[in-house]
Amino acid sequence: MNKVFILDKNYLSYLLRQIRKKMSLVAPLRSENEDIVLKTVENIHEIELNYPASIPSIKEFLFPQKEDMFRFSDGTVDILKDNTKRLIFGVRSCDISAITLLDRFFGENFIDDYYMSRRKNTIFISLVCNNPDTTCFCLRLGTGPFLKSNFDIQLTDLGDRYIVETASEQGLNLIKDHAHLFSKVRKSDYEDQYEIILSSRSKFEKRINLENARQKILSGRISDRFWDWVAKRCFECGGCVYECPLCTCFNVLDRTESEDKGHRFRIWDACMFKGFTKMAGNVYPSENKGARIKQWYFHKLIYYPDHFGKFGCVGCGRCTITCPGHIDMASIVDKIDIGDRRRR
Amino acid sequence: MKSRIKDTYLPLKAEIVEIMDMTSDIKLFKVKPYRQFLYKPGEFIMLSLWGKGEIPISITSTYGFHKYIELCIRRVGFITSALHLLKPPAKIGIRGPFGNTFPVEKAKGKDVFFFAGGLGIVPLRPLIHNVMNEKSKFKRITLICGSRNPGEILFKDDIDLWQKKGLNIIFGVRKGLQLLIHNIEKKDNSSQRKVGIETGHLNTSKISFKNAYSFICGPPVMIIETMKSLSMMGMNEESIFTSLEAHMKCGVGKCGHCYIDGKYICTDGPIFSYAELKKHRPSY
Repeated sequence: MNKVFILDKNYLSYLLRQIRKKMSLVAPLRSENEDIVLKTVENIHEIELNYPASIPSIKEFLFPQKEDMFRFSDGTVDILKDNTKRLIFGVRSCDISAITLLDRFFGENFIDDYYMSRRKNTIFISLVCNNPDTTCFCLRLGTGPFLKSNFDIQLTDLGDRYIVETASEQGLNLIKDHAHLFSKVRKSDYEDQYEIILSSRSKFEKRINLENARQKILSGRISDRFWDWVAKRCFECGGCVYECPLCTCFNVLDRTESEDKGHRFRIWDACMFKGFTKMAGNVYPSENKGARIKQWYFHKLIYYPDHFGKFGCVGCGRCTITCPGHIDMASIVDKIDIGDRRRR
Repeated sequence: MKSRIKDTYLPLKAEIVEIMDMTSDIKLFKVKPYRQFLYKPGEFIMLSLWGKGEIPISITSTYGFHKYIELCIRRVGFITSALHLLKPPAKIGIRGPFGNTFPVEKAKGKDVFFFAGGLGIVPLRPLIHNVMNEKSKFKRITLICGSRNPGEILFKDDIDLWQKKGLNIIFGVRKGLQLLIHNIEKKDNSSQRKVGIETGHLNTSKISFKNAYSFICGPPVMIIETMKSLSMMGMNEESIFTSLEAHMKCGVGKCGHCYIDGKYICTDGPIFSYAELKKHRPSY
């Protein structure tokens, strides 16, 4: 059962300052180019909370773009692991839902030690979206704007105070450490929260239905010609893959400093690239761009639900913002679901 | 399936103790791991060449019979070229074993066919070895072996040994990569073995395919053609098995490079039945 408290807004910066003494604090900041990015906080007053979803996504802190795995010299190996304790403040619900899925993906069968050691040392304070963006559609997937479980600490902005919920032991311990800042919750607070969530839910503009699209694909009504048509608009920039909080493909490379000495690291890779499946002897199993795009959508719309029972999309809308060809998840699902007959 | 490996991405130290030339571009590497390393037929390892990278390689030796892990590698890409330049002893790293094994238990009491095209004999060798050791448990055992030219037939010693034990052998030699039967070159005069592509022989032999099991390995075109022919000749699609290959970076179902149609070749495969392949890849 979730524990609920009230936090006065005036106490928030004090709480964050206290937390920062113990661990590294990461929060959304406005960059020089006016983008919202998650960064380690220097000045607490710079934290920017009025934003829909940060670009890039939260996966950066659990599965970095470039991550050193181990050093080797003359056959001996030293593991490199990041054991920094982190609190990530101001994450959105869609990202928290993505992490819940990533935990399952990296934790099943063969456990990914690098992801898991970072995950173990990270605690999240998520924030309910009061004003979702025009590109957001988490409501249609049940991954936001308000979560009922699977978060550490969730804050709902009630104007002058936050309603604080915890669903994990880690989160509860953090609150207990600073118990004097939190007060008891009253019935009127719940009512205010309900109102806020209701108004937030009414603000979603995108009305897409992934389940309909999935059913249509499964029934075989979407031909390869459709994907070839989509491919014509693809620039192969890989933006959708890099921004997606649920895309986890990586490449493993070695870098040498001298002979027999160097380190092995992994970097993000994208299935949109032609060279992604390239085999020795210049064999390209997926040379067709349409087939690669189909693979990406099938992974998210078909294989993810088959395996995890959830779509491989959390409705954060990052691909919509990023894609220069307007062939992002929302538009493609819409085209599959409603479409126009001429194109299909 | 629970992981047998503690550090998923950390290679185990190993040493190449011997390198043997098989043909002009194929070498056999004998690898000695520093710790005990158990493996079964059909599984593969991730071979690390420090500073160069990691590649998936299938194991061609039999655990318990061969002293070292044997890897038969053709010089094709960046890492295999570097491997071919090595001189023993050389330090490398291995991870694994990964993947599933050939479901040989199912084939007991039945006719068994092995189809090996070129390097395809490599993952089949430990399987044939195990099957020949328990020969009484199987009915007829046949190996249909093909290669580009007679000089490129691998593991001839092993094949002779198996033949003595009672393995039926059909050799096929194919010029270049052409698959049409009229392009077969009949050059192999040295032995009175049949010549042609693997599938070409099947039409002539008087064998019932209904209850037989087959294990196919080779280049993709050969796999597809053989599977199609076998299924057309009445073999059950669930008893035709093959080993697939793909670009891999992790071997543990995380990196996504071998993820095709909802299956990871590294963890769900690399051995698939024709029925599974047809379900997931309509192109087959």
